[in-house]
Amino acid sequence: MNCRLIRIAVCGLALASLAGCASVGIKPWERDILARPEMALDANPIDTAFDEHIYFSKEAASGGRGFGGGGCGCN
Amino acid sequence: MAGDLAVSMRAAQLCAATFTAMSCPCEVLIETADAQAARRLGAVAAAEAWRIEAKFSRYRPDSIISRINASGGQPMLLDDESASLLDFAARCHELSGGAFDVTSGVLRKAWRFDGSGKVPDQVTVDALLQRVGFGRLSWNPPHISLPQGMELDFGGIGKEYAVDRALALVAMQCDVAVLVNFGGDMATNHAPATGPWSVGVERPDTDREARLLLDFAAGGMATSGDTHRYIEVDGVRYGHILDVKTGFPVVGAPRSVTVAAGSCVEAGLMATLAMLQGVRAENFLVEQGAQHWCLR
Amino acid sequence: MQLTKRVPGELRLGLMAAACALLVQPAQSQEAVTLASDDEKPLQVDAGVLYYKESAGRIQSYDAIVTLRKDFGDEHILGLNGAYDSLSGGSPTGAVPTKAAQTFATPSGTSLKATNGAPVTYTTSSGRKVAQLETVTVYTVSTGALPLDTGFHDQRVAGDLSWSQPFEQNNHVALGGHLSHEQDFQSISGNASFSRDFNAKNTTLGLSGNAEFDKVSPVGGVPVFGSDYTQLLKGGDRNKQVTGGQLGLTQVLARNWITQLNLSYDSSSGYLTDPYKIVSVINTLGVATGYRYESRPESRSRRSIYLGNKVALGRTVLDISLRHGTDDWGSSNDTVDARYRIPLLGDDLYIEPHLRYYQQTAADFYSLFVSSAAAIPTYLSADPRLAAFSAKTVGFKVGMKLDQDNEVSVRIEAYKQDAKVHSSTLAGLSGLDLNPSLQSFICQLNWRFNY
Repeated sequence: MNCRLIRIAVCGLALASLAGCASVGIKPWERDILARPEMALDANPIDTAFDEHIYFSKEAASGGRGFGGGGCGCN
Repeated sequence: MAGDLAVSMRAAQLCAATFTAMSCPCEVLIETADAQAARRLGAVAAAEAWRIEAKFSRYRPDSIISRINASGGQPMLLDDESASLLDFAARCHELSGGAFDVTSGVLRKAWRFDGSGKVPDQVTVDALLQRVGFGRLSWNPPHISLPQGMELDFGGIGKEYAVDRALALVAMQCDVAVLVNFGGDMATNHAPATGPWSVGVERPDTDREARLLLDFAAGGMATSGDTHRYIEVDGVRYGHILDVKTGFPVVGAPRSVTVAAGSCVEAGLMATLAMLQGVRAENFLVEQGAQHWCLR
Repeated sequence: MQLTKRVPGELRLGLMAAACALLVQPAQSQEAVTLASDDEKPLQVDAGVLYYKESAGRIQSYDAIVTLRKDFGDEHILGLNGAYDSLSGGSPTGAVPTKAAQTFATPSGTSLKATNGAPVTYTTSSGRKVAQLETVTVYTVSTGALPLDTGFHDQRVAGDLSWSQPFEQNNHVALGGHLSHEQDFQSISGNASFSRDFNAKNTTLGLSGNAEFDKVSPVGGVPVFGSDYTQLLKGGDRNKQVTGGQLGLTQVLARNWITQLNLSYDSSSGYLTDPYKIVSVINTLGVATGYRYESRPESRSRRSIYLGNKVALGRTVLDISLRHGTDDWGSSNDTVDARYRIPLLGDDLYIEPHLRYYQQTAADFYSLFVSSAAAIPTYLSADPRLAAFSAKTVGFKVGMKLDQDNEVSVRIEAYKQDAKVHSSTLAGLSGLDLNPSLQSFICQLNWRFNY
C-alpha cells in the first residue's frame, strides 16, 4: 500500500517537472514584443563592433557575446 | 476574379454597395448621399473581400490553402498574413480545448448536408478522423508542414476576417458610419447620426423572414446556424457543425447563434464555439459573458 | 434573451486577445497569393563613424565601419563588413615614470634619423646583422611623466564576409571569413556555426568554432624575449594562432524577456608578446638602471561565461549582460553592462543611457617594474592592460527614425580605467603615479537605411 502511494507520488512529480519544462516559452501568437527590432539580441551591431574593438585593445578580456574584437594587432 | 459592384440609394443619407464574394451576397452600407463616394468605398471593401477569397479559399487551386493542402508534408514558409491567421486558428484550438479545429474539413467527405437522410458508417468516419487534428501538423512560425492526407480550411474564420479587414480599410478613408455585411457576418465603425443600425436575424424555419431586430452600434456581429444545412434521420436533426472528437455532428445545438462582440472575428468564433457546445450553447455564452441571441 | 450581465469569461478574454493580435497586423497589399518564401528583402546598410580620444596626449583614432546585409529570401543572408581605423598618439611603453628624465629609442617609429644623425647597426647574439633597423629615434620623457611611445601611428583596414541560411526545418548554418591588415600585423580568420531551434522556437542551441592566423611583423624587428632594451632586435616575422569554440543557448523566458547564455573557450599560441612594450629595471633606491623587452608565454587559454538579457518593460527595453572570464595567465575578469532604451515622441525618437563596469586581476607575470637585485623572470610584462584594474563606462545615445527603415543615432561615452597598484615606496619612486588612470571618450554617429 505504502509502496504504491510512493510510486504514484513519484510519477506525479516527474510529470509535473516535464510540464514545467514544456511551459518555458511562449506561443507563436505571443511573439509581438520579441519581434520588435530593438528586442533583437544584437540590435545595434555597429555599437557592438566598436565596443568590442575598443575593449579588446584596452582590456585583457574579449569576446563572450561572440568572437569579439579579434584580428587586431592592438593587443 | 473581380466581379460586379452595384450601388443603390437605400435612404436619404444611405448608400449601399453590393457585390458577391465567398459565395455570399455582400453589402457595404455607407451613411452618405454621394453615390460616387459610395462606389469608391464599396470598391475598396470588395477588392479586399476578393483578395482574401483568392488568397485563402480552398476552392481556388492557386490559393495558399490549396498549396499547403497539396504540399504532401513538405515544410512551407508562410507570409505574415497567413501566419497570423494560422496563429489565430492555433489559439482558438487551444482555447476551445481542441473543439475548434481548422483541419476538420476532411470530415465533410463523409457528410453531405443536403437534407438527404444519409448517415455515414463508423468505419468511414474513423478513417477520416485519422486525418484530423491540429496537433498533428507542425507549426513553427513561419514554417508549416501539413502531413499528407490532411487539409486546412479557413472557412470558419476567413469570412469574418474579411469583414473586419474590409471595414478597417474603408473606415481609414472616411469618417461616416459604415457597415460591412458579408452574408450575415458584419462589422461597423459606428452608428449613423440617426441612431444604431437595425439588423434582422432570420428565423431558420421560416423562409427569409426577419424575426429578431437587433440594434447594432459598434464592433462585429456574426451568426452561426444550420438554416439550410442539415441531415434529418429518424427525427434526429444533424447540424452541419461536426465534433472533431467523434466525427459526428454536434447534437442539440441551437438552430442559430448570433453573437455581438468587439470584432466580427471574435463574434464569429464565439458563435461557432457556442454551437460546438450543443445543448450547453446558451449556458456557455452566459458563462463567457457574450452578448448573444439563440434560436432553437 | 439579451443579457445584461456581461463579465467576459476566460475563454472569451483569450479570444479577444487573439482577435486583436490578428487584426492589428498591418493591412495587406492588394496583390494576391504570394508565399513569402521567395521574398527577397532590400539591402540593409549600417554605417558608423567613431572618434576616440584618450586624455593626456595618448591615443586618438578615427574609425569607420560599414556593414551590408542582404536577405535573398527564405533567410539566406549574405553579410559584408568593411572597417577602417586610423590611429595616432602615445601608447604607454610599460616603463614607469621616475624622478629623473628618461631617454628611449623608439622601435616603432618610421625610419627617422637618430638625434645624433648616425645610423646604428646591431648584431644579434648569433652574429647576424639586423637588416631592418637602419635608424632609431631617441626621445626624452621628463621627470615624473609616464613614458609614452609618441611616434605611434597605424592604419588598419579589415573586411569580412558571412553567409547564413536555414538547413532543414529548424536548423541554421553560418560560415564567415575575416581579413585584417595593418603595417605590422596581418590577420585571417574563419568561423562556422550551427544552431537548432527547439520547443516551438523558444529555445535555440548553437555551436560555433573560430580559427585565426596572425602574422606579426614589428617595425624595426622582433625583440629577443626579456633582452636588454639597448641590445635587442632580430628581423623577421612571428606567427600567432587562435582557435575558439562557443556553446550558446538562447531561451525565450516570457513574452517580453529573452535570454542568452554562452560558454566560450579560446586558445592562442605563438607570438603573444607585444614587441613594443618594455619593463623598467629598478634598483633598491628606486632608480631606473635599465629596461628589458617584455616577454609573455607562448600559449594562452581563456574561458568565459556570458549571460545576456533583453527585457521589454512597456515600450522601454532593458539590455543587461554579465560576463565572467578566466585566463591561464592568471587574469580573471567580470563585466556588467546595462543599456536602457527609452522611446520618446511615439517611436520616432529614443534615448539610451549606458553603464558598464569592468574589473580584472593582474596576469601572473605582470609587474610595474622588475628589480635589478633579483634575477630577471622568464616571463614579464608591465603592459597596463595586464594589470589589475577596474573600469567604468558611462554613455548616452540618441536615435531618431527618419522613416520605417531609416535611422540615425549619436552616441557619446566616457571611459575611465583605474589601476589597483600604481605607487611604490622605494625612495626614487615614492609620490609618483606609476600607472596613471586612463581616461577616454568616444563620439559615434550611426546611420541605418535600406537600399
